[in-house]
Amino acid sequence: MSNLLFTQPFFKKNGRAVAIYFLVAIIFWFVFLVIIPQLYMLDLSFRSNVPPLARGGPRDFYTFEHYQHFVFGSKSSIDAFNFVALGVFGRTIIVSIFVTIANLAFCYPIAFYIAKIANPSTARLLIVSLIIPFWINELLRSFALRILFANEGVINNVLTGIGIIDQGILFITYDVGLYTGLIYAYILLMMFPLYNAIESLDVNQIEAAKDLGSSTIRTHWRIVIPHAKPGIVSGCTMVFMLTVGALATPVVLSSPNTLWFPQLIYQWFNMNDNWSRGAAYSIILLVVSVIFVLTMMKLFRVRIGEIAR
Amino acid sequence: MKPSHTINFMIGLYIVIFFTYLFGPLLIMSVTAFNSAEFPAITPWECFSFRWFSEGKIAYDGQHLAGLLSDRRLHDGLVSSLIIGTGVVLLAVPIGMAAAIVLTQVRSQLRDVYYSISIMPVLFPGVIIGISTVVLWDRIAGLGGEGLVAEFGRNGIFLTILAQTCFISTYCFLIFVARLQRFDQTQEEAALDLGATQTQVFFKILVPYLMPAIASAAVIAFLASFENYNTTVFSILSDQTLTTVIASKVRLGISPALSALALSIIALTIIAAVTYEVLRRREEKRYVASQEKFVKEEAADSRVDKDYKAGFRIPKGIVAVILLIILCSYGATQIVKNDLYGQSCIDAADKIKRAKFFDQLQTLESNQLTDEELQGGDLGGNQDYGDIFGDPNLFKDFGGFD
Amino acid sequence: MSADVELRNVSVMFGSFYAARNVSVKINGGEFFSFLGPSGCGKTTLLRAISGFQDPSEGDILIDNKDMSGIGPNKRPTSLIFQNLALFPLMSVADNIVFSLEVKGVSKKDRRKRADELLELIALAGQGDKKVHQLSGGQKQRVAIARALAIEPQVLLLDEPLSALDLKLRQRMRTELREIQKRVNITFIYITHDQGEALTMSDRIAVMNEGELQQIGACAEVYNNPLTPFVATFVGENNPLYGKVKEINGSKVRIETSDGDFISTINENAKLSVGDDAISFVRPESLFIESDRDHFDNKIIATIESFEFEGNLKNFYASLKSGLKIRFSVPNALDTSSISSGTQIILGFESSKSVILPKAALAID
Repeated sequence: MSNLLFTQPFFKKNGRAVAIYFLVAIIFWFVFLVIIPQLYMLDLSFRSNVPPLARGGPRDFYTFEHYQHFVFGSKSSIDAFNFVALGVFGRTIIVSIFVTIANLAFCYPIAFYIAKIANPSTARLLIVSLIIPFWINELLRSFALRILFANEGVINNVLTGIGIIDQGILFITYDVGLYTGLIYAYILLMMFPLYNAIESLDVNQIEAAKDLGSSTIRTHWRIVIPHAKPGIVSGCTMVFMLTVGALATPVVLSSPNTLWFPQLIYQWFNMNDNWSRGAAYSIILLVVSVIFVLTMMKLFRVRIGEIAR
Repeated sequence: MKPSHTINFMIGLYIVIFFTYLFGPLLIMSVTAFNSAEFPAITPWECFSFRWFSEGKIAYDGQHLAGLLSDRRLHDGLVSSLIIGTGVVLLAVPIGMAAAIVLTQVRSQLRDVYYSISIMPVLFPGVIIGISTVVLWDRIAGLGGEGLVAEFGRNGIFLTILAQTCFISTYCFLIFVARLQRFDQTQEEAALDLGATQTQVFFKILVPYLMPAIASAAVIAFLASFENYNTTVFSILSDQTLTTVIASKVRLGISPALSALALSIIALTIIAAVTYEVLRRREEKRYVASQEKFVKEEAADSRVDKDYKAGFRIPKGIVAVILLIILCSYGATQIVKNDLYGQSCIDAADKIKRAKFFDQLQTLESNQLTDEELQGGDLGGNQDYGDIFGDPNLFKDFGGFD
Repeated sequence: MSADVELRNVSVMFGSFYAARNVSVKINGGEFFSFLGPSGCGKTTLLRAISGFQDPSEGDILIDNKDMSGIGPNKRPTSLIFQNLALFPLMSVADNIVFSLEVKGVSKKDRRKRADELLELIALAGQGDKKVHQLSGGQKQRVAIARALAIEPQVLLLDEPLSALDLKLRQRMRTELREIQKRVNITFIYITHDQGEALTMSDRIAVMNEGELQQIGACAEVYNNPLTPFVATFVGENNPLYGKVKEINGSKVRIETSDGDFISTINENAKLSVGDDAISFVRPESLFIESDRDHFDNKIIATIESFEFEGNLKNFYASLKSGLKIRFSVPNALDTSSISSGTQIILGFESSKSVILPKAALAID
């Protein structure tokens, strides 16, 4: 068995004590912390919602009701579909895509500049400057934005003070705050894969293209971007997934009328105490993430070893 | 690459805007920490004070807004965060190390699969990991009856440590994998050949080599655990960590204490980063010096031309720093001139606000103000949609609580 | 204390590929023995098999007459010096050297003493606290040797240890290694692709190619009486003359080539019959420019093409009537001013200095 999995017999190579430590650590991690919880959550999502004491008893049975509820709403509602939940879900995904693309568009010029144009000391300074804001917790950064965008916030105060407007603009209510916050939150995760990918491109290729008469746009489109493809895919994947699953920023910046999908999960879980339904919604979120990652990998033919942390 | 001047200018402008966007909110937030007004603001500037760092205040409407030093919930949260962080480090670093070492021992065909499984936790949304841990252990606790198992299964700190370890182990794994890639396997063979047992090879050769990775993994693990929210908010159950306390302020009220907290963290981070950089430079200098000495010893009159400046470089950022100092001095003189600081200022402001508040209360009781005007989105309170974090009608409970 | 090392029909296979095939050799205790061959010939594989890092697929390995199968490298009485030395970068020089004592649990005081002894031995006294990266190439070599000798093994295995050094250092180290070996009286098993190294240092050498043993013997024996064309051309330079066997007369054989007939000596182990394809070999230093006073068994007419000054030798490259290229060398002291490119000369060589072998593959340069 050992020789099937390992290049050398496992226990002989590591000595007994260390081998046991390895096995225990890895099995504990993979099985107990990663796989079993997910399996259990999957199982829970198919069960009816019963209080802990009644679990395992007659009232605990398997059902699709939670998934049905997601799509169709409760039995007592008049609407054909569960527009609220579906709406939140749809909006979350669409906005996340928009945020990802915006993120990419904003970061690309900077990444290119730092990787190829700036001289080394400037580049170093810029990189450090990029990292500093992200040492601050995502929540606090979102609060900073909230302070700016609130009805009595800094922006509104300045604008009314100068006299441009009379009443505060409802940034938060109209989700401007939320979108700004989401784009802000994960810039680093887009910037670094992009930077690494572009950096590895040989400058001579760009020069050669220019020599041959290629315009700037064409150079980027045909040479830089294909080379940076793994970085782009990596960045987009991470940003999309983190945005779709974001909780901290929406908590702080979303208005009462707009929910982010994880907030919905939170609601089912902690406010309505319906763990099964929360589990079902979580599975839906997980499936979306996995599908997205796999699609990106397939579409752009990138392998899984692309995480650059 | 030397683009034309207009493009250069455009790029420069873009970069300035970009970094303003990045740093602006944080700078503004930092400034608001010193304004005694109840909602973080720069204008109107009430009074310059340090109160959000220490005692906070009791508002004219009886609402207590705690400052950093007096916020007990914050302190409890901080302690929990430290405990959880330590726990996570103690678990995730050994797990990551084990996983990385085993990666080097697995057959090449299996290596991809193994690596993918190890990366997986980072691809799960954090909320999923938190939820799945909670539901699983809730079930385990249910099955375990009354004893220790039930205790643990419902303990927020225990669950959070487990949930965070799930994906933080991956971070540690990646750090160890990177370090192991440059490991010279023949050292292990040499040690064996000299008579060491396998266990001795591990402890005397491999672990010392991995020490830097262990250190950075521990630091990364701790920081990642400390600042985590998505997973923690589900697994923490009835306890609180620093981040959940911060998040709850959306409901309880945003005050400049938050800005004070942010500024403190920023300051700490910058100090830590500068210290690290200084230490690193010093270490580098020492290494270079020893190399130079060695080279000079070896070759009598070889000319070693190193343009390595071992001195302290003056960074170009000095311009920005000078600008900052000028701005601060201007602000400071303005404040002093208009007497905008000190307790007297605060008392005066309070009196005005108290008067205004009672007027408002009377108007409220006599007329019916519309919902629009009651909402505001600033002192907190998301009213609609299930009251997720909402606490309707803040004004109802005036008269002192907490 | 030294030990005999014996390999009995040892084969090492990776999948269906034979890295070493059916190797049998008996190395005597206290001997300086070298495995010589080109890269990929299997010598490293054998070394690793002897030291315990590689289990032989077939055959047995005995050290001091004890079967080593199943015994790991940490339990064998062998010490291996790796090609990249594999010194421990995080430990000091002294700690490196006495590592084998540390893992056995020897006390710090005793270790210190032994470290000082060994540092004396390798002429690095007082430098025990330095870190490995502060040493020069030659110094690192010596530390590696000291480290391997600390535990007083019965067999020392050396994997091309001098390949990374420059020429002068390499020559010096050759002498040093030999002296160390004589002093500590340990069996040295040395592998290299440099035949100059093997010849100057060893008592006996084994020539290998593609996993198989071609010849074992004392250095002079292997050089003067190669058993196969591979050995003839790998060990030292050699000129091959292709032809057919015309006549056999005891140990003398006449070969017929397109450049004339020659008489060569046949090795008693070689098997040749009249009419066989054969190669007659003559070394560059055995070809002499004929003068009136000489009388050689064999003569050959050659046209000079080019010339190379190597310092103590002058190497001439010439072509024969058939187009075959040969080379011959002449001591620098000899006057060769009359010879230049295009000159036609007559070279002579003794039949006793020419070996004839059945035709087979040569060592490719």
